[in-house]
Amino acid sequence: MPNIVEIAVSTEGFSTLVAAVQAAGLVEALSGEGPLTVFAPTDDAFAKLPPGTVQTLVDNPPQLARILKYHVVAGRWAQSDIAKEESLPSLESSPIPVRVNSAFEVKNATVVAADIEATNGIIHVIDNVILMG
Amino acid sequence: MTTTIATAPTLPASTHQFAEVIHRLEAGGSMLPDTPDNLKQIIGIYKAYAVPMDFYWRDLLYIAEKVFLNPLPAFKYFISKEYLDRQNAYAGDQASLRIWRGPGDAHPELREFMAKGESGRKLPKLLHHLWHDRVNMEFAEACMDAMLWHEDINPTFNAYLYTDEYIANSDRAIRAYFKGNPLMLGLYKLFPEMFLEQVRRLSYYANLGLFWEVMAPVFFEMSDLYDEGKMTTVPEAMDFLVNGIFAIAGRPIYHHVYIGDECYEIIPKSQGFTWLYEAALPYVEAVFYRTAPFRGTKSYNAQAGQVPDDQKDFHYGILYADVFPVGSAGIPPTLLMQDMLHFLPDYLVEEYQQHSRGEDDMLIQLGITFQRSMYNVTSAVIQALRCALLYPLDDPNPEHLKANRAFFEQQIDRFKRPEARLDDIQQQSYR
Repeated sequence: MPNIVEIAVSTEGFSTLVAAVQAAGLVEALSGEGPLTVFAPTDDAFAKLPPGTVQTLVDNPPQLARILKYHVVAGRWAQSDIAKEESLPSLESSPIPVRVNSAFEVKNATVVAADIEATNGIIHVIDNVILMG
Repeated sequence: MTTTIATAPTLPASTHQFAEVIHRLEAGGSMLPDTPDNLKQIIGIYKAYAVPMDFYWRDLLYIAEKVFLNPLPAFKYFISKEYLDRQNAYAGDQASLRIWRGPGDAHPELREFMAKGESGRKLPKLLHHLWHDRVNMEFAEACMDAMLWHEDINPTFNAYLYTDEYIANSDRAIRAYFKGNPLMLGLYKLFPEMFLEQVRRLSYYANLGLFWEVMAPVFFEMSDLYDEGKMTTVPEAMDFLVNGIFAIAGRPIYHHVYIGDECYEIIPKSQGFTWLYEAALPYVEAVFYRTAPFRGTKSYNAQAGQVPDDQKDFHYGILYADVFPVGSAGIPPTLLMQDMLHFLPDYLVEEYQQHSRGEDDMLIQLGITFQRSMYNVTSAVIQALRCALLYPLDDPNPEHLKANRAFFEQQIDRFKRPEARLDDIQQQSYR
């Protein structure tokens, strides 16, 4: 079974996320033992951000890393586990509000593909980049 | 990103005290009504603000990076040529992200004013300074102090200022700065916390300097677009700010000190602090909403409950101000108004001459214009937060639209208190 990074690299629609993870120097951390839960925004999700937003972040890896870490939670959290929670602590340290009702929502994003298993964790694909605050 | 859309019909009308404003925000508008006069006023004042701001950010960084712990900083407002020539990161040919199409060094109008002052005569710099015929950095420092003092609004940044890493970084810089000065090094040994607190204050100088370095070219560009007929409505002006907030959000906030040929990284860029979270949002909260009662404008009796017990309830910012510059030296808002007076575009001077008491109360008129313009900037911040944390204005899910409305209503609740000027700025006659 591939790890989190290998799944992102080999799946269509995650080229921005992969480039961002590489620019932020997080490849190693996301390829490690984990386990980690990653809320992975699609290319379309990044494209929704106003012009310049992603470029400024890519030019500044520590700041980019901080935003990306907000998409990662320690531990293997499947949708059924998340359904029992109101929020999860991100690696950035800010909490991520979660809701599982008729839809599976992470802050202001909706999960479009849940429970993608990797050797070192689990991926939930989201339709928005989520931001702290 | 265009946020101007037709009002979503799926929600019933808001019952909020400021329902009209809520509906306008939901339609992608600003708290400030979209009228040609409002647009003219806010763009004109952005330009008049941007010129002194071009001095503020340069001098704030000069103080944070070069003046540093000078025990007698009498000349801290005498900015060096290097900092006047310093290229703005968002203007000029060298900018990686060019917001203003103009040059990256100090604005020509600023240089001219620094040379001749209000008097229009080239006098020695010291005379201009003592006569207060200069850009009033005291206003910028008051804003910085507000950010420093309301420490709860910037928890991540503030927590870092008390870490072992920050203290070790500061210690290295303090020892290098006072190398060969046994008196100051002795004082540092006796009172280390006093020195560290000064460095923390200087880190806020850097923070605010880096924040305003972005805003000056934003305002210059808006003014140019208006002059070219390319910015024609208040929502367009707000959207330009929203897009700017996002584009720059990830800019690093840091504090570097230059001693001799060495750069000492007090707050390294690698700490991950960002323009949006550690500068812009704390600035808006500290300066637009809270600040502190300015001494000399009004007497407050804290024991009678006239000053809130809790700092988060402070409401002395521009959004609540009874704009009445008494003219007394040392009162920061008056000093800002005086600074902006020197750089008003002709169309605003003409407008002020036609209203109220003409030139006699121009400071009050431009102060109220400034208040209108900051309601528009605050609207941009509210829309940017909505965009970042909530949902599109045309989201098809009614639950999401309800969440947007709850957010807007919560934000506008802050203007229910009697001192707020939201009601006033709805009227064109408020001058």
